[in-house]
Amino acid sequence: MIRRLVGRAAQGLLVLWAVTTATFVLIHAAPGGPAVLADPKLSPVERAAIESRLGLDRSLGVQYLRWHGRLLTGDLGDSFLYQTPTLATVLGRLPNTLLLVTTALVVAILIAVPVGLAVGQRPGGPFDRIVGVVNFTALAIPPFWFGIVGILLLAARWRVLPAGGMMTPGMPADLVDRLRHLVLPAAVLALPLAAELIRYLRNAVAATLEASHLPPARARGLAGSAILTRHVLRNALLPLLTAIGLQVPLLVGGAAVTETVFAWPGMGRLGVEAALGRDYPLVMAIALVVAATVVVANFGLDLLAGWADPRIRSRR
Amino acid sequence: MSRRIPLRPLAGLAVLSLFAAIGPWLHGTDPAAIDLARTAAPASALHPLGTDESGRDVLARLMAGGRVSLLVGVAAGLVALLVGTGVGALAASRRRWLAEPVSRLLDAALAVPAFFLLLVIMTLFGGSAASLVLAVGLTAWTGIARLVRAETMTLREREYVLSAEALGQSRFGVFRRHVLPHLVPVLTAAASVGVAQAVLTESALSFLGLGVEPPQASWGSMLTGAQQNLATAPWLAVYPGLLIVATVLACNALAEAVRTRQPGSPR
Amino acid sequence: MTLLALAGCGRQAPPSDTLRLAIINDPIMNAPLSPDIGSVLINKIIFPGLMRPGDSTTTEPDLAASFEVSTNEREYTFALRPGVVWHDGTAFTSRDVKFTFDQILDPKSGTLQWSDFSIIDSVTTPDSLTVKFWLRSPFAPFLTLLGHNAGIIPAHAFQGRIADAVEFNRSRPIGTGPFQVAESVAGSYVVLRANPRYHGSPPRLSRIIVKIVPDVNAQVAQMLAGELDLVTLEPANLSGLGNDPDLRVDQVSVPQHYYVGFNQGIPRFRSPLVRRALTLAVDRQAIIDGVMKGSADYPQGTIPVALGEYYAADLPRIPYDTTAALALFAEAGWRRGQDGLLRDASGQAFGFTLLVDKGNPSREQAAVAVQQQLRAIGVSVTINTMEFASLVRDYVVPRRHEAYLIWWNTPLDPDQFSYYGTAQSNNDVLYSNRRADSLLARGRASLDPAVRRAAYHEFQAVEAEDPPVLLLYYPRELQVRRATLHGLPALGIRDALRHTEKFYFAAGGR
Repeated sequence: MIRRLVGRAAQGLLVLWAVTTATFVLIHAAPGGPAVLADPKLSPVERAAIESRLGLDRSLGVQYLRWHGRLLTGDLGDSFLYQTPTLATVLGRLPNTLLLVTTALVVAILIAVPVGLAVGQRPGGPFDRIVGVVNFTALAIPPFWFGIVGILLLAARWRVLPAGGMMTPGMPADLVDRLRHLVLPAAVLALPLAAELIRYLRNAVAATLEASHLPPARARGLAGSAILTRHVLRNALLPLLTAIGLQVPLLVGGAAVTETVFAWPGMGRLGVEAALGRDYPLVMAIALVVAATVVVANFGLDLLAGWADPRIRSRR
Repeated sequence: MSRRIPLRPLAGLAVLSLFAAIGPWLHGTDPAAIDLARTAAPASALHPLGTDESGRDVLARLMAGGRVSLLVGVAAGLVALLVGTGVGALAASRRRWLAEPVSRLLDAALAVPAFFLLLVIMTLFGGSAASLVLAVGLTAWTGIARLVRAETMTLREREYVLSAEALGQSRFGVFRRHVLPHLVPVLTAAASVGVAQAVLTESALSFLGLGVEPPQASWGSMLTGAQQNLATAPWLAVYPGLLIVATVLACNALAEAVRTRQPGSPR
Repeated sequence: MTLLALAGCGRQAPPSDTLRLAIINDPIMNAPLSPDIGSVLINKIIFPGLMRPGDSTTTEPDLAASFEVSTNEREYTFALRPGVVWHDGTAFTSRDVKFTFDQILDPKSGTLQWSDFSIIDSVTTPDSLTVKFWLRSPFAPFLTLLGHNAGIIPAHAFQGRIADAVEFNRSRPIGTGPFQVAESVAGSYVVLRANPRYHGSPPRLSRIIVKIVPDVNAQVAQMLAGELDLVTLEPANLSGLGNDPDLRVDQVSVPQHYYVGFNQGIPRFRSPLVRRALTLAVDRQAIIDGVMKGSADYPQGTIPVALGEYYAADLPRIPYDTTAALALFAEAGWRRGQDGLLRDASGQAFGFTLLVDKGNPSREQAAVAVQQQLRAIGVSVTINTMEFASLVRDYVVPRRHEAYLIWWNTPLDPDQFSYYGTAQSNNDVLYSNRRADSLLARGRASLDPAVRRAAYHEFQAVEAEDPPVLLLYYPRELQVRRATLHGLPALGIRDALRHTEKFYFAAGGR
């Protein structure tokens, strides 16, 4: 177990290094430059002053090394666009993204587990078919579109939910208000995720039942009984955790779109802004934090998997 | 549903491809041409499906956009398939010195937030269909590689593989003759899911303003452009939306059909 | 099910004394820095300048009580308004003005206004309520520029570079404006509350909430949902508003001109005949109607109609006339060949690459319209769409462009010397006309409106013969506001926000 964890940690560091290095190479290989230099009115004097202030007048090798030096001190430089310390800026947005993503994840699991168990016990049944159609459709609609239509109907037309943001500005902190702002964006993220998890669970449950060598009639008779559910759930837990692990990176990425649709002040949207504005230090900081989030989430899931799977547990 | 060949998804994909491939010859309007006198106009003899907010022919754009969306989807799926199969096979190789590091790299790649990298690539190099294909393909291969690794590891323990190896056939030869054929259904399923993913990813990138560059069209960019006219010209959203949903549905259904023909491999 | 219950309750109409407007990114609340439109807008509210725009061509004292100009027109003396205090209660003095301009005049400080004020030779402060500006030469736009982006910042709040003052710039700025920052949540919103010690008439609103909404369609949705009170939109977004009776759309002429610029370092674009022919060959009314949905004015010269008396309304328009265009091309040595393309005597075809920034549908469409219309007379145009930053940095600055679709957004002053004067800093099209040079120089050097008017009218007549650029349109800004919101001056949003103390919601609220 310990060796496994150490291996996982080393792998996590490898991911961090690979993502940040790839990002560094990409942003500097691209044409164009920082948006702050895009003003056609700038004189050469101002241009030069800005470049030197931003450290762009040094060679790429030096910039790359300096970034790693700064990593050690925890100060990743200031954002070009916002002129704030990048790491603090990104970490300030991280909780918002985590709130959105974990809510979506929890909602998706709460939907997927009962539905997946039910349809997995009776594959081919009428409920399975209905769920199958709904799932297929949920996976086929571009999520941003689902969000836009949701805003237009629920916010603009019927005015039952807010159109965007995390809270009503200028109001004292209010849980209900926060929850109302969370409903639509979390639903948009949770929908395809739930569909995906239901598919995994359904297959895992079906496979477990098949492998338990019960005659189908007997299995059907048992379906729904507490014992079977527990037996099946234990066996389906590992595939479910694996599935979640594979979905986490997608979820963090998908948040960029959802956050833009709903004006949600998260990391994903910040990433889009930073990349569009060629804000090199901010892009790097986001790459680091996004990758670290995914690594930590996978690490946690891995621990859970080790606990859930006796084979892994017993290995060391 | 016990048909040998999944006819319905295949027929659907064929219709969609034909629409995009030969449609432009039947309906000769230039998809980039703008008719400033008729913007966001409903269907007419001149424009069978009406015009968009810029006065461009919707039917012509759906056809041209279909070429982009489907080509990007299929090409990106292929790139992902090639890279994924290669890496997956290496990771499942019997040579530990090769398999071990490749496998670790693959595990690492699986944890990379692909969409973020995609975002960076597209903001920075943006625009062309080619960069879309490469970006989507090169970020989508990891799932396929993981599948190929798992399947290959199972397959290579089968007796016929072991005996072929015992007979002294080269390892690549064994892989090609005895393992790869058995991977075909899995790969077909993975590739069609990949195509569906690519079509959706393309539309998400278009929404963020990082899709194909105008005046080129794609279904995703048309859907995005339709947002602002939703109140007055909803058909602008309906057509590309339906085509995207149809494509993704057909691909996923194809994958599902191929998968369920494989007993004992519930994924 | 809980979610549905939540959806039903908790909705309360915000009080009608709060204005909610939207910007697209987190602002830097430090007037001289203001790197983007969001920052510019919020800084107009927080940081008044010495002057502010009155109407389209006048400027009125703001932090200044009065001013005097020496007879040689190079020395401006401002008497500051007494009793003005910063939002933290500290007295506002001439030291603050001097500090602000020291920052602006130092390109290393990170401000982006150096080119606006490089005419200043020195700033002195004879006493705490007097500031003197010494100019290198007479400069008519000076007062307008003081009321444009040059908001005054507090000297006492800074040590070292203002760009490094993260706390100030992000969450705790203090200005002298009618509203002061009460709360700032990164990525979400900034709450401004009325400043009880404001030096002008007391603000009528109690709060202004500036929300950060990056997506324009989301802004439209929030307008419809009653979560915003004022936004500016592109013509293409207008249809999304439908016919909401709670909303009003005001069209306001703004000092901008959109054009296709040709690099006149390239010989074929040097001929005035060719530039006039290209102008004749583009149906600009069709672009205004089709692309701008009618919310733009037909262009004359480079001085837009928003500049009031400086716009030469009586000059004949350059119409859409392809026959006349072909005649001028022929005169310049370009005739249509067998293939219909315009060619010169050596058989070289007339064509160019048109650069346009991506992401803005109006400009992209205008570029396609220009391409189609020029193709009709045998000019082949290739459109190259790219990131605005790349367009400027990789093409315009190194002069690698042939043609580009772009715009200038100017203060409310007709001075265009730096844009169209020979070899001036912002003359990216490399236009050169002796007559225009002397008229532009005369217009910027005189403080007499009559002299200036004559100079600029004549400049526009010169432009009709030798167009510096292919003018496309003068856009009107589309200001969408809640019908109950009143008190906005008929100015572009940038200038209107210098007058927020006058904004109010009509009695009866929403």
